[in-house]
Amino acid sequence: MLELMLLPFFACIVLTGIHAYLGIHVIEREVIFVDLALAQIAALGSIIAFMLGIEFHTTGAYLFSLLFTFIGATVFSVTRLKERKVPQEALIGVVYVVTAALAVLLIDRLPSEAGHIKYMLVGNILFVKWSEILKMFLLYSAVGLFHYFYRKKFLIISIDINKAKKQNLSIKWWDFLFYASFGIVVTSSVEIAGVLLVFAFLIVPAVCAMILSDTLKTRLIIGWGMGLLGSIIGLYFSAAFDFPTGSTIVCVFGLLLLITALTKKLIK
Amino acid sequence: MEKSKICLILLTISLFASSTYAKNKLSAVTATADLADFVRNIGGDKVEVVSLSVGNQDLHAVEPRPSMVMKVKKAGLLVRVGMDIDLWMQGVIEASRNKNVMRDAKGYLDASLNIHKLEVPEGKIDASMGDIHIYGNPHYLYGPENAAPILKAIKSKLSELSPENKEYFQENCNEYSGRLGNKINEWKAKMEPFKGMKIVTYHNSWPYFAKMFDLKVAGCIEPKPGIPPSPAHINDLVEKMRSENVKTIIIEPYYNVSVAESIAKKAGAKVVVLPPSVGGVKGVDTYIDLFDYNVNKLVESLR
Repeated sequence: MLELMLLPFFACIVLTGIHAYLGIHVIEREVIFVDLALAQIAALGSIIAFMLGIEFHTTGAYLFSLLFTFIGATVFSVTRLKERKVPQEALIGVVYVVTAALAVLLIDRLPSEAGHIKYMLVGNILFVKWSEILKMFLLYSAVGLFHYFYRKKFLIISIDINKAKKQNLSIKWWDFLFYASFGIVVTSSVEIAGVLLVFAFLIVPAVCAMILSDTLKTRLIIGWGMGLLGSIIGLYFSAAFDFPTGSTIVCVFGLLLLITALTKKLIK
Repeated sequence: MEKSKICLILLTISLFASSTYAKNKLSAVTATADLADFVRNIGGDKVEVVSLSVGNQDLHAVEPRPSMVMKVKKAGLLVRVGMDIDLWMQGVIEASRNKNVMRDAKGYLDASLNIHKLEVPEGKIDASMGDIHIYGNPHYLYGPENAAPILKAIKSKLSELSPENKEYFQENCNEYSGRLGNKINEWKAKMEPFKGMKIVTYHNSWPYFAKMFDLKVAGCIEPKPGIPPSPAHINDLVEKMRSENVKTIIIEPYYNVSVAESIAKKAGAKVVVLPPSVGGVKGVDTYIDLFDYNVNKLVESLR
């Protein structure tokens, strides 16, 4: 059993590493559901590629979904409104439901079973392979380094847009870079771990960290710790009680958030 | 703390005990309870068999769990439905890293291998053709007449894996095939009065069943699981049911029964919920039970 849970465990470590960090950005920007929207846009890309005769899980299909991710990134970067009459989250939600519904319409016209396609686009962490973990690790390290290198710019546009304006940063350009790199990450994550689990990895450790701390450095450390803890407990429960692995980890993350919030309240 | 330690020790011992015990028996894993019933009937007490899915599950959408991988890991024989319907099995097999049951290995059996398949598309497939399986319709277990080649294939595999029991498997196979054959005649006799009758099904999963009993499938409510039917499709279907006098809609319990009921109401028909697999209803524990149940229930509603 231990051997079986080893690969999912390594996958969880890699996922925690990048998502806890990106989660802090996403929450600061108040664009919580942007990962769902971008993953759905990418899925739409692979479905359209499939309609054009490109099989799933080929380089062609990947490039196609990447192209769609970049289109999504462009949309989200040009729609960051100056005066916040309507929260950007509303637009993100609309993009999500419309692309999801569009996928349903397209699948309806495809010459194979719908369930089949859903299965092909959403992964299961229990079945992750070494090669996938390695690929994920290399890709996320590259994105991570890119963000580390330009950390000041990425942080300013996420946290303090007025300051960014004063520094004459091209906000649209940096927003695009953020969403594009973010899109690259979540698209591969969803393909390996599924939508629910990726969302949990992105949001829960970051929220816990932000409840407990105010500086980026400690937030990151807490976020990584929480991600690791949730992964270990979730994988253990999944193995011990024979629950579907991804959903178990998500529930454990929910529990961790609850405990964190209660602890914070008690300490106050 | 002490208690949990004892539990752990007991668990380890029992696991160890069961694994040594299983050594005498060939261990088999199947995708569905139907296939497990076949293996059980042929393998008798020489084979230990478990099914990875239970009767009420939609085979398109089984959620894999760690124990499934562990079961496949220990298996000497794996029997799957194939034809792309049990795709989740692929992940389970790969994760188990059990070389004995990988595709093309000695312990791997795709039960669809020698089935006379229906609805196999001819020529080039394109999007305009609607719901199409490249291998044909995969719901062949709904037709008990398809059991014969599967039983034969299971018998051959078991004999190959455990040659010393070859005769035993052959005897069991003959006995069970005979029993099932008699049952098939009995079911056909029961359905005789309804020959040529038209039915509508929720998903396109009943052509093998319909063919066996000479029923005609006039249409399906939801051609693809998860994709709601368009209003035009429902209109056409209701129209068709009225004009062709279709009085019965057959649906599996995991699909949307209320949708079927609203269509039945419009068309003046009745909905019959039939379990698709062994274990789908309490008391339906074997493949023969399953068709006893389904045939009786259908006859009751057709009367």
